[in-house]
Amino acid sequence: MDSLRNSLRRLNPLSETATEQSQGTQTQGSLAGRLRDSDFVESMPFWLPPTLLVLLFVYGAIAWNIAISFTGWSGLGQPEYTDLSLEMYRQLPADQDFRASLWNTILLLITFTGSSLVVGLGLALLVDRKIRFENAFRTIYLLPMALSFVVTAIFWSWMYASNGVINTTLNVFGLDLLAHNWIGNPQFKLAAVIVALIWQFSGYCMIVYLAGLRAIPDEHYEAARIDGASTLKLYWRVIIPQLRSSTIGAVVVLMVFALKAFDFIYVMFGTNPGRSVDILAVTMYREAFSSSQWAYGAAIAVVLFALALTIIGPYAYTQYKRGAL
Amino acid sequence: MADLQLDAVTKVFTERDGNQITAVDDVSLTIEDGEFLVLVGPSGCGKSTTLRMVAGLESISAGQVRLGDTVVNDSKPKDRNIAMVFQSYALYPHMTVRENMAFGLQESTTMPDDEIEQTVASAADMLGIDDLLKRKPDDLSGGQQQRVALGRAIVRDPEVFLLDEPLSNLDAKLRAQMRTELKRLQNELDVATIYVTHDQTEAMTMADKIAILNDGELQQVGTPLECYHEPANLFVASFIGEPSMNFFDVTRDDSQLVHDHFRYDLSNETGDALAGAHAELVLGVRPEDIDLQSTANGAHTYATVVDVVEPMGNENNVYLTIGDEQTQTFVATVDGMHHVEAGETVYAHIPESAVHVFDRQSGHALRNRTVESTTIPETKL
Repeated sequence: MDSLRNSLRRLNPLSETATEQSQGTQTQGSLAGRLRDSDFVESMPFWLPPTLLVLLFVYGAIAWNIAISFTGWSGLGQPEYTDLSLEMYRQLPADQDFRASLWNTILLLITFTGSSLVVGLGLALLVDRKIRFENAFRTIYLLPMALSFVVTAIFWSWMYASNGVINTTLNVFGLDLLAHNWIGNPQFKLAAVIVALIWQFSGYCMIVYLAGLRAIPDEHYEAARIDGASTLKLYWRVIIPQLRSSTIGAVVVLMVFALKAFDFIYVMFGTNPGRSVDILAVTMYREAFSSSQWAYGAAIAVVLFALALTIIGPYAYTQYKRGAL
Repeated sequence: MADLQLDAVTKVFTERDGNQITAVDDVSLTIEDGEFLVLVGPSGCGKSTTLRMVAGLESISAGQVRLGDTVVNDSKPKDRNIAMVFQSYALYPHMTVRENMAFGLQESTTMPDDEIEQTVASAADMLGIDDLLKRKPDDLSGGQQQRVALGRAIVRDPEVFLLDEPLSNLDAKLRAQMRTELKRLQNELDVATIYVTHDQTEAMTMADKIAILNDGELQQVGTPLECYHEPANLFVASFIGEPSMNFFDVTRDDSQLVHDHFRYDLSNETGDALAGAHAELVLGVRPEDIDLQSTANGAHTYATVVDVVEPMGNENNVYLTIGDEQTQTFVATVDGMHHVEAGETVYAHIPESAVHVFDRQSGHALRNRTVESTTIPETKL
C-alpha cells in the first residue's frame, strides 16, 4: 500500500501536499480510520475502474496472447496450456510468407515514415512563409488525416484501377507507357500503398512541423540573415535542427501506425494481398482468423508487439528521463 | 571604419485595410566612427524600427542610410557589415556557445577554420566566457547568454554595432553591471554603435550621444547632459530624468508667471527670453532643484504640504501639494538625512536659475535653466 501511495505521489506532486495537509489535521486514529481519510482511498472510485479495465483488456490481452503463442492451438479445439513450447517461433524464420511480410513491414516503415516527414516538412516550410490563405492550405493538407482508412483505401483503389484517374491522366498526356496496373502488378503494389499512405499522413507531419516552426522566434531567422546565411543554409543549419523534437514525435506516431497499417491493405486487397504487399498485421490476421492457426498468429502478433516496443521504448525512456512523462 | 548616416529616413507601414502608419518620420542622424549613440523613447516610438532599417531587416520607405560613402538602402543585411544583438539574444539553441559565435564567420567570410577558432576564443576571453564555449545556451544564465550574444556580434568585427534593448531581460543589479561593462567594451572596440532602449537611465549612463524619439519623430539629439539640462521641448524634459521634471501650467502676466495657486516673479533677463512668446506657458523645474525650507524667506518660496515621502536612502522623494484644494502636486528630491513628515507644512524654494519655460502649445523650450560652462563639456556635434 505504501509503495503504491509513494508511486502515486511521484506521479502527482500536488496530491503529496494535499496528503500531508490531511495527515497533519488528523490524530493517531485506527488503521481503518486513516485509510478512510487518505487521498489514495478517497480517490479510488475515480481511477480504479478505468485502471482495472485497461489492465484486463490491454495488458491482460497481451499476456494471454503471449501465452497462446507458446501453445500449439489450431482449429476448433481449446488451447492446451499444459504443453508450452517455442515451437511456433521456431517455425517463423523458415516461413516464406512471414519473411516476406516482415521485409515488407520494415520497408513500409522506413519509406513511408521518411517520405511523409520530408513531404510534411516541405509543406510546413511553404505554409509557414506567411502565405495568403494559410488556414485554407492547412485544412486542405490535414483533411486526409481526418478520413477513415476504409474511405481513403477505396478511394485510392479507384484511382489506381486500370481505367482509374491516374492511368486516364497519363493517357491524356500521351504517357501510356507509364500507365500500369498499379494494384494488380506485384511490382507496384507496395509502392501504391506507400504513396497513398504518404498522401494521408504528410498533412499530419506538416501540422507537427508547423507547430515546431511557430515555436522558433523570428529573431533566429533575422540573426541568421545578419550572420550572412543564405536561405538554404538558414533552414539547413538554424531552423531544421531546431525541429528535432517535432521529428522524433512524428516518427514515433508514423512508425507505430505503419506497423499496424492493417485496415488500409485489408480494404484494398482483402486478407490475402499476396507476398508483394503482405505485412505482419495482415499475415497475423490471416493465420489466426482465416486459417485458424491461432498459436501461430499469436506468435506473429508477439513479433509485431516487440517491433512496436523497440520503436516506442527508447522514445518513452528518453521522455521519462527528461521528465516529460 | 566609417561614419553611419541616416538621412531623412522614413518608414511607412501599410496595414491590410490600406491604412498607412508612419512609424519613423524623417529621421536624420550621424553616428561617427567609435561613437555610442543611444536611441531612446517610449514603447512604439519607432526606435526599434529605425534600428531594423539600419540592419536591413526592414525596408526603407524614404531617405537614405549611408555607411561611409555607400548607400546601403538596398543591400542585404549580410552585405552591410553590421552586427546586431537582439533583446531575446536569439542564440541558436541547438548549437554550443562556440558554434553560435562561429556561425556568422562561417557563413559570411572565407576565414579558415583555425582562424575562426582563434577569433572566437579571443572574443570569449575578452567577455570572460571562455569556460562556457562547450555549453548550450539553455544551460546558461541570462547574463551569460547576454555575453554570448555580444560575443557573436564582436567576432564579426563589424563597422557598426546594433543593440536592441540588450539589457532589458536582465535583473536590475546585473543590468547596472552590464551597463558599465558594455560601455567599457564599446570604448575598447571603438566601433560606431546604435543602442536602442526605452530606459532613460541606460541612455544617460552609456551614451556619447542620445537621440530621443517620440511618435516616430526625432525630438532632440545631444549629449546626455545637454538633453538633461537643455531639453528642446516638453517631451524631452519629461522623458529624461527620474523622477520626472515638475510642470506647472502658467500664464504670463507681464513680469510674473501666474499659476492657479502661486505667482512666479521673473527677472528682466528671463522676461526677455520669453518676449514675443504666447502667454500660455509651462513652467518646469527638476525635483532636485527645489529646496525645502522650514520658514518662508526670500523670493520664489511657496508654502506647501507634504503628501507622501518616498525614502530612497541617499535621498527622499517628497511629494508636495500646493494650494488649498491640494490639486497640484509636485515632487522635490532632498537629501536622505533631511527629515520630512507627511502632513507637515514646508516652504519650497524654486530658484529662478533652475527654471525651464516651455510654450504650452508647441511644447518648445523657450528658456532653459542656466548652466555653468563646466557642467556640459564641449560637444562633438
